[in-house]
Amino acid sequence: MANPKDTSSSSGDNTVIGPSIVINGKLSGDEDLTVRGRLEGELSLTKTLIVEPSGVVKANVDVKNAVISGAVVGNVDAAESVELTKEGRMIGDIRSPRVILVDGASLRGRIDMGEVKGERSEKGARPARAVRAVPVPARPAVRIAGKSKLEGKPPPPPPPSGSRSGAPVPPLVAAGSRRRVVVKKKAR
Amino acid sequence: MANTVIGSSIVIDGEISGDEDLVIQGTVKGKISLKESLFVDSSGVVEADIETQNVEVSGKVTGNINASDKVELKSDCRVIGDIKAPRILIADGASFKGNVDMDVKER
Repeated sequence: MANPKDTSSSSGDNTVIGPSIVINGKLSGDEDLTVRGRLEGELSLTKTLIVEPSGVVKANVDVKNAVISGAVVGNVDAAESVELTKEGRMIGDIRSPRVILVDGASLRGRIDMGEVKGERSEKGARPARAVRAVPVPARPAVRIAGKSKLEGKPPPPPPPSGSRSGAPVPPLVAAGSRRRVVVKKKAR
Repeated sequence: MANTVIGSSIVIDGEISGDEDLVIQGTVKGKISLKESLFVDSSGVVEADIETQNVEVSGKVTGNINASDKVELKSDCRVIGDIKAPRILIADGASFKGNVDMDVKER
């Protein structure tokens, strides 16, 4: 299963936490980290964190980039970007200028993309917060189903039928859709 | 190949446990317990109590080592602490300070 998709820069050093390894405590470093096992505590990196599908991270995470295909419980603070892939599951808040949620990813928590400049004048209705807390029911699965173009209409249209639970779709992406939430639709 | 590597710029403060080989090129403080082998590379620094089956040290270890099979101190290592294992190998050039206890019954 060793699939050398080497995203690391020049030097070949790359830290891997294997599937049967459990780390409890504080981890910090200046290189990419791939988690296939378990990590609990605190994590800070100046590079990219990759949580593979078998990986579990229960920690407050402070990194440059995070690619989450496994499970993360805790707050993720990324200087550059956070990507939740289709297998990614996460409970906690994300703070990063770029947040990518792929179809299939599940998230319960808040997203903060920092200062949102200019753009809000034309939609008056929305106050400061770019994206607000998501009141999701017990089963998280914030599915971002469609492209959610509800521009300019003061009374929001009935919830799009794409979402599965009966709960009202929170205005998660709708509010910030002009900005940098990139919603990748998987074509399959 | 389930292989865990702690890279050279990584610092871990806490506990590591697991059932697979672990290679340390960075710094680990706290405690390490494994069912397999631990390799402390020449750039590795461990300040921890170690409990494993095999240990191979080329770097720096401060702490007690308890191995169920073998401890090997390579030529450029520096180890401070007690070692307890049925087999202990110390290569020429290794520096070591501590007690050695090889009185462990074979399992």
